[in-house]
Amino acid sequence: MSALTQSTPAAAHTKTAPEKQWRPPSYWPFVVPALVVVLAIIIFPWVFTIWMSLNEWKVGSPTIFVGPSNYLRLTTDPRFIEAVGHTLVYTVLSVVLPLLLGTLAAVVFHQKFAGRGFLRGVFIMPMMATPVAIALVWTMMFHPQLGVLNYLLSLVGIPPQLWVFHPATVIPSLVLVETWQWTPLVMLIVLGGLAAIPTEPYESAQIDGASFWQVFRFITLPLIMPFLFIAGMIRMIDAVKSFDIIFAITQGGPGSASETINIYLYSVAFTYYDLGYGSAIAVVFFLLIVLLAAVMLYFRQRMLWTEIGSGA
Amino acid sequence: MANHKISRRTLFTGTAAAGALSLTGLPARAEVNWKKYAGTKLEVILAKGPRGDNLQKYIKEFTDLTGIQVESEQIPEQQQRQKVVIELTSGRPSFDVVHLSYHVQKRQFEKAGWLSDMTSYMKDPTLTAPDLVESDFSAAGLQYAKNDKGQMLSLPWSVDYFILYYNKELFQKKGVAVPKTLDEMVAAAEKLTDTKEGIYGFVGRGLRNANMTLWTNFFLNYGGEFLDAKGNILTDGPEAIEATKLYQTLLTKVAPPGVAGFNWMESMASFTQGRSAMWIDGVGWAPPLEDPAASRVVGKVGYTVVPAGPKGQYSATYGDGIGIAAASKNKEAAYLLCQWVVSKQQGARLLQAGGGVPFRNSILNDPEIQKGVKMPKEWLQSVIDSAKISKLGLPVVIPVAEFRDIVGAALTSTLSGADPATELKKANDQYRPILERSEKA
Amino acid sequence: MNLRSILGRIGLWFAVLVIVSPAILFFLWMVSLSLKFEVDNAAYPPVFIPEHFAWKNYADVLASNRFLTYFVNSLIVTGSATALALLVGVPAGYGIARMAAHKSAIVILIARITPGLSYLIPLFLLFQWLGLLGTLVPQIIIHLVVTVPIVIWIMIGYFETTPLELEEAALIDGATRWQVFRHVALPIARPGIAVAFILAVIFSWNNFVFGIVLAGRETRTLPVAVYNMISFDQLSWGPLAAAALIVTFPVLLLTVLAQRQIVAGLTAGAVKGG
Repeated sequence: MSALTQSTPAAAHTKTAPEKQWRPPSYWPFVVPALVVVLAIIIFPWVFTIWMSLNEWKVGSPTIFVGPSNYLRLTTDPRFIEAVGHTLVYTVLSVVLPLLLGTLAAVVFHQKFAGRGFLRGVFIMPMMATPVAIALVWTMMFHPQLGVLNYLLSLVGIPPQLWVFHPATVIPSLVLVETWQWTPLVMLIVLGGLAAIPTEPYESAQIDGASFWQVFRFITLPLIMPFLFIAGMIRMIDAVKSFDIIFAITQGGPGSASETINIYLYSVAFTYYDLGYGSAIAVVFFLLIVLLAAVMLYFRQRMLWTEIGSGA
Repeated sequence: MANHKISRRTLFTGTAAAGALSLTGLPARAEVNWKKYAGTKLEVILAKGPRGDNLQKYIKEFTDLTGIQVESEQIPEQQQRQKVVIELTSGRPSFDVVHLSYHVQKRQFEKAGWLSDMTSYMKDPTLTAPDLVESDFSAAGLQYAKNDKGQMLSLPWSVDYFILYYNKELFQKKGVAVPKTLDEMVAAAEKLTDTKEGIYGFVGRGLRNANMTLWTNFFLNYGGEFLDAKGNILTDGPEAIEATKLYQTLLTKVAPPGVAGFNWMESMASFTQGRSAMWIDGVGWAPPLEDPAASRVVGKVGYTVVPAGPKGQYSATYGDGIGIAAASKNKEAAYLLCQWVVSKQQGARLLQAGGGVPFRNSILNDPEIQKGVKMPKEWLQSVIDSAKISKLGLPVVIPVAEFRDIVGAALTSTLSGADPATELKKANDQYRPILERSEKA
Repeated sequence: MNLRSILGRIGLWFAVLVIVSPAILFFLWMVSLSLKFEVDNAAYPPVFIPEHFAWKNYADVLASNRFLTYFVNSLIVTGSATALALLVGVPAGYGIARMAAHKSAIVILIARITPGLSYLIPLFLLFQWLGLLGTLVPQIIIHLVVTVPIVIWIMIGYFETTPLELEEAALIDGATRWQVFRHVALPIARPGIAVAFILAVIFSWNNFVFGIVLAGRETRTLPVAVYNMISFDQLSWGPLAAAALIVTFPVLLLTVLAQRQIVAGLTAGAVKGG
């Protein structure tokens, strides 16, 4: 083969041709079983949900086809609109805070020190622990009179807070739990990014006498950007859908101050048994997540361009 | 049948003395054929709590009596309601007998036709012990158990009155008398509050949805009615506004911080720690309050009826019952079980342990049974007094959960300063279409 | 310079302390709660180490009826859901990585984005129609929604980092795709499979929502069962914390023991897998 490629220009032109013409057996057989399994599980629920969203179906009453009226009802439902607002606030905070802290933690855990493995294990325990179990313990810790958090605050002279028991502080308090739980995931992903960075830029930076912050800002950060983006995306999907924590701690209260879309969906479907309307919420909720992911992708594209622009 | 001995056995015979037949299976002139369905297997789904415990603890006696095997499980109330509804909707529930919460599920179950009609069983002497008669149930119980057509769709099991718990020690220290009216209660609470010490005059549910059960005590005592003759909801009227103002005053001025997020559990924690002087809640909390392992106020708790309002004195009443799934294939056997569940003996055990209050007057008013109550006498007295002023605590409609959520959220927002009238109006506007849609469907 | 590096060390240790303490304090407090009687648990200022340990909290949970059944149920559900996920997920990760066919991963992404609640009612009705309720099958199947995406996600990342040369050589030698996968790719990816296994186990074990509706008396998993143990008439922080700790203990143990593999696997997965 090599003799051929060297002998004539024509052959040289088709240097890679033999590989292209030789059609490898497809990899699809590897993928298909998993696709079938996943589709088998999700198709029926989706068809069912979409169909039901076009019906009025309250448990115990007959089903009536009503077309898009459930969707129209959403636009005038103050609780739903409020829930969308809560969800967005909750999501933004629960993406940004873990990203910041997780990056910081990754930088620290990227250093070498005694007991690193064990401490890293301890640090990722919150994301592995059973959410319902942790949520119950946090509820006890938040108690305004008997909770340990207010006691800790009192030790440093801060007056007691109401945490999840006041409309103004409930979302930040829940975000605190969410951050505590999911910062480790961001840390792990960013840690992977740090491990993949070549050492050369750091060496030259050291020669130039760059400060730690400068190194981080101009070398580390741009290089781990793709990882932060992935972490942010995963975090966004999970934060929007967050359920166990909010449900177990506040059930959406006080009042409806922490009622997110997922919590409202739960109420509509499982306490009001308004399954048609609940299905419509589920569909809109899904579309909203897709929309948020698209927005994030869009900003990612733009950021890439600006980075290249300023870099050049 | 008149040989009274003071023992568990007595209860059997003692209760039987009221009717002519006991559940011991000693048929005097009896026709009830307890063993007729021997060998049947029943599935029961229960809400977690003392009622469920009471059933499971003694179920062997039922099996001995009837030869019916019973498998039962207790699930926390909220999950139990969901599971029950989903299974009933599917048409093939996995259970024969269901424990239902009247104040939430009555209308829903009736409308969906999920429960089997017991009226004819109750008239059948081969199925029903003679002491089990409709008139023995309290009015509230019958109101809950019967549908519009007068059919008996379940047996009333346990009633929950709201009463006032108070801390005698704190009352004594401040020289405060037990309040008889709501106004007195506010005044007392103000005197008892000592924020420096971390002591508050009043505690109660502030959490959305749960808070409705407290608020209705005020609403009823201000003369409120939930529905007008045409079925329109009336919770934005002057009575509701007055009740909400009282609620707002109590929970913002003299209650512990964070009360807007309190359910019964947090309220109880505050009360058992001696940090709140008064607490209005369901009658069933006496056992934990008097349990030294869980409470610092053992022996110091006073029990009394909810203070009177300007338009009357009522005790907001809730309750649960036990019914037969319409889809069950073992209805008669299931009926025997329901009957046993609300029998005098089982009811007496429930009352005596403080785990609940039977709907049956013959149990509540039986001096023999009263003697065996392990809770303080005052508690029993508060139960008996509440029974006399009992009034249903929530509107009997299908979308009860929505009602509790929406109006409950309005109440909670008054706790952070919102105006009661505006909030109630807003809640009413939001709730009215939901109610209309559900009644029309 | 020397001083600077000492300061750096101190700063690092301080940072480590700050970062790790929320997790450590939380779990210590959880242990403390679980070992106290109610009177101590509701006391203020809080009691950190009680005079009398309430071992009874644990005894109560463990002794409560059917605990063993629920534990075995959890093992079966988690075990089967993980095994099935590995069976279909590892080859899928391989295929997607080799084809760079990330679009087919969209299906898996949809499964991931779909709100878990919207599966419950349709699947309940479906399983009832199939007559599968009352068995563990419905839960095993629905747990696949959790485990399959995790396995695929980790495996894509892993296979993308494993070298292609060996595989190409084997192909040229006339091996089939399957043989290459079986004898070349799979052995190299063993650490990745280990991580996928661990994470699938953890997230399946922790799942709670699905069990509420799909589990019955005999088919309940441990998290659901323990949640159900919450006594209604008691303020039961102690037993609750004990129960919570018992449920989550296997997972925490696994985390600390396998932290090196988890770190390696997750970071590798993230490199390319997103």
